[in-house]
Amino acid sequence: MSTVAVRMTGISKNFGGVKALENVNFEVLAGEVHALLGGNGAGKSTILKVLNGVHVPSAGTIEVVGVPLTIHTPEASRAAGIAMNYQEMSLVPTLTVAQNVFLTREAKSGGLIDDKEAERKAAELFAMLGVDVDPRAIVDDLGAGQKQLTEIAKAISQNARILVLDEPSTALAVSDVDRLFTFLRKLKKQGVAIIYVSHRMDEIARIADRATILRDGKHVITADIGDLPIDTMIEHIVGKRSLGLADIERSDAVRGDIGLELRNVSGRNKPDNISLTIHKGEVVGLAGLLGSGRTSLAKLVAGIEPLVSGEIRINDRPVRFRRPGDAIAAGVALVPEARATQGIIASHSVSDNLTLAALDDLSKAGFVIAAKARAATDAQIERLSIKTAGRDHAVSTLSGGNQQKVVIGKWLAVDPDVLVLDEPTAGIDIGSKSEIIRLVRELAASGKAILMISSELSELLTACDRIVVMADGHAYDDFPRAALDDPAEANTDITHRLQAAERRLQIAIQEALAAGQEVSHAQH
Amino acid sequence: MPNTDTTQAAGVLGAFLRDWRQNIIYIGFIAIFVVFALTLNDRGFLNPNNLLNIIRQTAMIAVMAIAMTFVLSAGEIDLSVGAVAGLASVTVAMAIAVAGPFAGILAGLATGIAIGTFNGWLTTKIGIPSFLTTLAMMGIAKGIAMWISGTSAIPILSQSYAWWFGGGSIGPIPVLLFWILIFGAVGHVVLRRTGFGRRVLATGGGEQAAAYSGINTAKIKFRVLVISSTAAALAGMFYAGRLQSGRFQLGEGDELSVIAAAVLGGTSLFGGKGTVIGTIVGALMIGLINNGLILMGLEFSQQLIARGGIIILAVALSQKKA
Repeated sequence: MSTVAVRMTGISKNFGGVKALENVNFEVLAGEVHALLGGNGAGKSTILKVLNGVHVPSAGTIEVVGVPLTIHTPEASRAAGIAMNYQEMSLVPTLTVAQNVFLTREAKSGGLIDDKEAERKAAELFAMLGVDVDPRAIVDDLGAGQKQLTEIAKAISQNARILVLDEPSTALAVSDVDRLFTFLRKLKKQGVAIIYVSHRMDEIARIADRATILRDGKHVITADIGDLPIDTMIEHIVGKRSLGLADIERSDAVRGDIGLELRNVSGRNKPDNISLTIHKGEVVGLAGLLGSGRTSLAKLVAGIEPLVSGEIRINDRPVRFRRPGDAIAAGVALVPEARATQGIIASHSVSDNLTLAALDDLSKAGFVIAAKARAATDAQIERLSIKTAGRDHAVSTLSGGNQQKVVIGKWLAVDPDVLVLDEPTAGIDIGSKSEIIRLVRELAASGKAILMISSELSELLTACDRIVVMADGHAYDDFPRAALDDPAEANTDITHRLQAAERRLQIAIQEALAAGQEVSHAQH
Repeated sequence: MPNTDTTQAAGVLGAFLRDWRQNIIYIGFIAIFVVFALTLNDRGFLNPNNLLNIIRQTAMIAVMAIAMTFVLSAGEIDLSVGAVAGLASVTVAMAIAVAGPFAGILAGLATGIAIGTFNGWLTTKIGIPSFLTTLAMMGIAKGIAMWISGTSAIPILSQSYAWWFGGGSIGPIPVLLFWILIFGAVGHVVLRRTGFGRRVLATGGGEQAAAYSGINTAKIKFRVLVISSTAAALAGMFYAGRLQSGRFQLGEGDELSVIAAAVLGGTSLFGGKGTVIGTIVGALMIGLINNGLILMGLEFSQQLIARGGIIILAVALSQKKA
């Protein structure tokens, strides 16, 4: 029996009233690759941040190789031998690769920093990983994959006893993933405990020895990877949904004219050659993992990223967007992914936010007509049932769900024909989630063509009439919603049916990933 | 790999273009120097005395700008440097009058450290942005200087103080040149080659990333603000030594020249990028421009416009094109 590298016992973590982790036990052995799995909001990143000292646990104890960890700071965790990659968050864009890898642990000669030595050591690390990254390059100039490799090099350069890799492969080429795995096996032999977080089940099956699955902040199961076939894993990850989404009734969409049509659309990097038609009254979902090109596609449609080839047609007329304003004028509105920075101006009032996109309509000779603005604001507050103490209160005082309604309301004020929603329910409690989903259905019923991105499959399944599966910038399947229902479960209650459909969709996503990798293998 | 050659060629070319923009300050300095040398030679531009005068006039800006390079690199700003220089010139002169030159030096440095500590505390502990902290401090320092001096100049009678701090020269070489060289060398090595300098650049380049890497970013910001005020006090001491008196107007408006010198030299106003050597050349370039415009016989109003135009042109050329 190997020694226990990490033992986390009874860990709970509350953020305000939200329980992100509830009494979770998590144990990792020296010399194993331990996969940590779970859906969005399952608590994976929270438990990792507790482990490496970014968050202080509300309850519970942590032991590292038998020694209790009592101080919860990044420095203390690192001193205890824990190293982690932070998905690009620990890189300083203005420094070089080598400077980043050895930040705070600089190589010195005669008391002064020796960057040449750091570059040499970084080059050695990259050679050991078998990848090609220039240690002298400025991080800001690197592509996503190279940044990720730098993050990984930074984590492994610390010669840690416990190495945490959070989604290390999202931006990596297949060949780089293979080399990373070879390297991880080497580390494993040296007795390093590796915690590996990924949404890619095929990767987990290849590299992990054991897996722990979390769901809704609770521990579900820890088992050998051999005892967890992919569908069993998915079952544990999906679990039995708590109330909320399942009670939203579905009705078939009344399809009108074509609202949005994409013909062989490609972006600079992603997406690649996508064709898609959305009728008015229809909600089409994009399913896929991080890096599959969903958000890039949304940005293309909203005029934020440039179209490289192909054609976008709105209301059956070709359009050409140079800037977001062109898309808005053509009737496209985007509810962006990062609500706090891209969606709302938090310190401004509900009214100011709701009228921001429609200022021209509400103004005369450059002056905003207060009465018109008030009426427009009140109409949206009423229509979307935004819960606010008043239209003049700052949006920051609203709950996440109501903030999102403000973003949606902002766009409804300009009456768009095409609405693009990127992760519209991220960071929103389950009650508000179903409200947003219901709203999406209503908006479609009122004749809008809607493109929706969500990482929560149950949401897509509830909101959408069709679901397109994306991986690596390509579209793989285009399922009518009904095709995802499992006939065997047809007579069970709606919760079960939703779960069955979610499992099918999960499998479709994993298949698309595998297909994508075969394609890129063939290209190499 | 088939395309290695082309990527390498592109890399060299790209590096050259990047360097061209990064090194605009040096190219610009030489260009302006040559233009002045050709057009103003008959008015004594190349006269060694004139050139050494440029050094004398820009030493204070240079010393403050070296410290400002650290402040800007850490993503902060210090607007109080000019006023602190004025206040320090007054405290130095007063202390020398009462207790001699050694006490004067201590009083001057203590002034800088005290104000820097206060700036740092307000910025990192209370959380007031340094822009506001130091903007307010600008008025406070000037007010104190006017108050304790009764708005009059306080003479410094110690010849040894005046020699060391700004007035003296070794042969033809002004002592101030040695101060610039010392501070420049120390500043350059600290920013480029020490853990502290690297932490300053990391804090300004990506505060969250720096914190996640285990850097106490508040401590770094605190320190750069203390360094900046102390350097400003030293500049004030140089003013006092050179003019053999302390008065509140000394250093007035210097903050703009100081920030301009650092930015001209290639230091980013947004943090994460800084170069001490560039800053010194930036300071010298501002001195060069002032000197040349005066020799040209421009009126003060014309000098202001020409100087502003040259600075805008230089900074615009150094911007990375999207």
